[in-house]
Amino acid sequence: MKQNRPIWTLLAVALAASLLIAACAAPTTPATPAPVEEQPVQEEPVQEQPAAGEIDCTGVNAGDTVTMLYQWSGIEEENLTKILTPWMQACGVTVTPEASRDQALLDTRIQAGTPPDVAFWTVTQLTQYKDKLIDMATLGANSVNYAGYWQNIGSVDGKWLGLPVKADPKTLIWYSPKQFEAAGYTVPTTWEELDALVEKMVADGRVPWSLGMESGDATGWTGTDFIQDILLVKQGPDYVNGIIAGTVAYDDAGVKEAYEIYGKWAKDPAYTVAGAEGTVSTGFNDAILKVFAEEPEAMMVKQSGFAGGTIVGNYPDLVYGTDFDFFGVPGAQGLQGGSDWLMAFNDTPAVRSLIKYLSSDLGGKTWAEVGFDLTPNAAGAMAYIDPQLLKKAEILSSATNFTADIGDSIPGGFGSAEFKGITDFVNGADLDAVLATIAAAQKDAMSK
Amino acid sequence: MARSSATVMKQGKLAPWLYLLPAIIIMSIFIVYPMLNTINLSFLNKDSSASAATTCREGEACWGVFENYRYALTAELDLSNSKTAWQSFWISSYGNMLKWLVVMVAGTVGLGLVFAVLADRIRHEALAKAIIFMPMAISFVGAGVIWKFMYNYGTSQTQIGLLNAVITGLGLEPVSFLSKIPLNTFMLILVGIWMWTGFCMTILSSAIKSIPEEVIEAAHIDGASNFKTFTRIQVPIILPTIVVVITTMVINVLKLFDIVYVMTGGNFGTGVIASRMYTEMYTNAQYGRGTAIAVILIILIIPFIIMNIRRFAKQEAAR
Repeated sequence: MKQNRPIWTLLAVALAASLLIAACAAPTTPATPAPVEEQPVQEEPVQEQPAAGEIDCTGVNAGDTVTMLYQWSGIEEENLTKILTPWMQACGVTVTPEASRDQALLDTRIQAGTPPDVAFWTVTQLTQYKDKLIDMATLGANSVNYAGYWQNIGSVDGKWLGLPVKADPKTLIWYSPKQFEAAGYTVPTTWEELDALVEKMVADGRVPWSLGMESGDATGWTGTDFIQDILLVKQGPDYVNGIIAGTVAYDDAGVKEAYEIYGKWAKDPAYTVAGAEGTVSTGFNDAILKVFAEEPEAMMVKQSGFAGGTIVGNYPDLVYGTDFDFFGVPGAQGLQGGSDWLMAFNDTPAVRSLIKYLSSDLGGKTWAEVGFDLTPNAAGAMAYIDPQLLKKAEILSSATNFTADIGDSIPGGFGSAEFKGITDFVNGADLDAVLATIAAAQKDAMSK
Repeated sequence: MARSSATVMKQGKLAPWLYLLPAIIIMSIFIVYPMLNTINLSFLNKDSSASAATTCREGEACWGVFENYRYALTAELDLSNSKTAWQSFWISSYGNMLKWLVVMVAGTVGLGLVFAVLADRIRHEALAKAIIFMPMAISFVGAGVIWKFMYNYGTSQTQIGLLNAVITGLGLEPVSFLSKIPLNTFMLILVGIWMWTGFCMTILSSAIKSIPEEVIEAAHIDGASNFKTFTRIQVPIILPTIVVVITTMVINVLKLFDIVYVMTGGNFGTGVIASRMYTEMYTNAQYGRGTAIAVILIILIIPFIIMNIRRFAKQEAAR
């Protein structure tokens, strides 16, 4: 197979070439059939009709289009369409969407001078395209519905450039209320209570954590998520953002403290399932299930919102609220997680009405009712139908800040150095050496 | 040119090149150009926008335009003293490469030779060889996944990993085969041996079969034991083939990627050169560093390719 026979070379070359062509071609063809611009809109032209609910269509002509670029597909895209439908119907606007996870596509469009009217992308792009983006204040975004920290995150050089539309917090701990009740434990509300609870579980002969972090070549990410949550508790969001910005070195004392706290739990079989070996070689999905198995191996698992789906997928009989539940990491001064931002490249009446709609009370409520993760729009806070989302929304609305994943926010090798570092640390490597290596990668990424 | 000559048999100077042209074009586009471009990129920074020398930082070691090579060669090593340098070398991609080369090449060629000789003497030769050759038919990624299950480390009473099920069945503690340094690299090499022994066996077996029966008979008549016949007659005769198999295996091992990537992702000190190249290139988007590692890999492989080509050329000439 690996002999350099010409036929194999040719086949491999042909395959590589076709893959290459496919890879190049895919992003340029819209993943979704884009409606043709000339196509008449089904809805009757409704012009300047603020009366249609609370949707402000000022200046919009029926038949106007908004071009969009976002990373969502499948059910995510359906959710977005559901959310936008009231606005499209009220104003008679059509959208021309394109879905691609390839940021290079957005880059190319912008450099070519043909950006989409709006893009839904991550917060990093706000800084990257700050000169091309239009101020949300100019576009009429309703700032009342957004907590100050959201506006801060979305602001570059004092200008509010991005409207946060979607958030998915990771700062959660999953547990079994049934098991907690049987053992007489209560959900901790401060970090000290959590620490005390962990010690009590150990004293009772129970294993508090399931920290498995195996995930192929991304092994370690559940560990670095945990580190970031500890940092949010012990140091706060400014510190975390300092790491992302490069002003706080990764081998700082605060980071070291977080690793020591984590290491105490992640390496000891009394604190986590099978100690260090269990942590590095248990898959992150298995780690979730260990807490909810017939005979649970641990009491708690720290994991993102998707854990709920994993639990129900494997144990369909378990009921949210009694068999499994979650609470925010106690004492966290802010959350970590993923967020999506609307950024506008063109100032048209239709774009303005879209931004007004999404930032309005109605827009927030519609987003929450559809249940496309969480909306940072405060008007949506209580409108969720799904109880898990409602609880996450409570955690989000009581949060004072929101930080992106450190590893994802620093390009060029930092993320993989961080994953590898924490894996090596749990597997027995010297902490100072590990942190020095990650800090070097951080410095590397900062100096262009 | 030769056009004036009327002889039919004489070939024009142009004709051989015309025959070669398709191959030359294809090779230039898909082999030569990418290779030259790779070498070029290895002297540039991560997004190929400036020379690698610009990535140097003050107060730290710098090799100028060879900065990516400095990174490729020394970044994994802890050079604070000779002891740490030695220790870090043995879990670096280069140290692991050495372990792979020695253990896997010796293992595949040695076992392949033993199986080839033994299979020669049993009744169901084809069946026995087919069984040993079978792993070659499995995709490398597939084999990695299969062995990941074999080595699986369970934290509860039930072990889904075969090896740990046996170990716990004997009343011992389960072993985390893939994370224990330095055991883990050897567990990965075992997978490599399992996959490639069949390949070595097939080639060596055909070489053994090509030894004239009379030679063996003569040896037996002279009173040589089976073992003596093997070491003194068979092995020397097939030595050229053994050398080819060894060099081929060395090249295969140097390029090795799949097993490591699938089973450990290069974690726990099991990384090899190719897995590191992949991480720098695709995970970290460090094109300069990724291509520098690729060039080092090419340089390591070239001598063995030359050896192989020479050997083939000699064999062709002997026919």
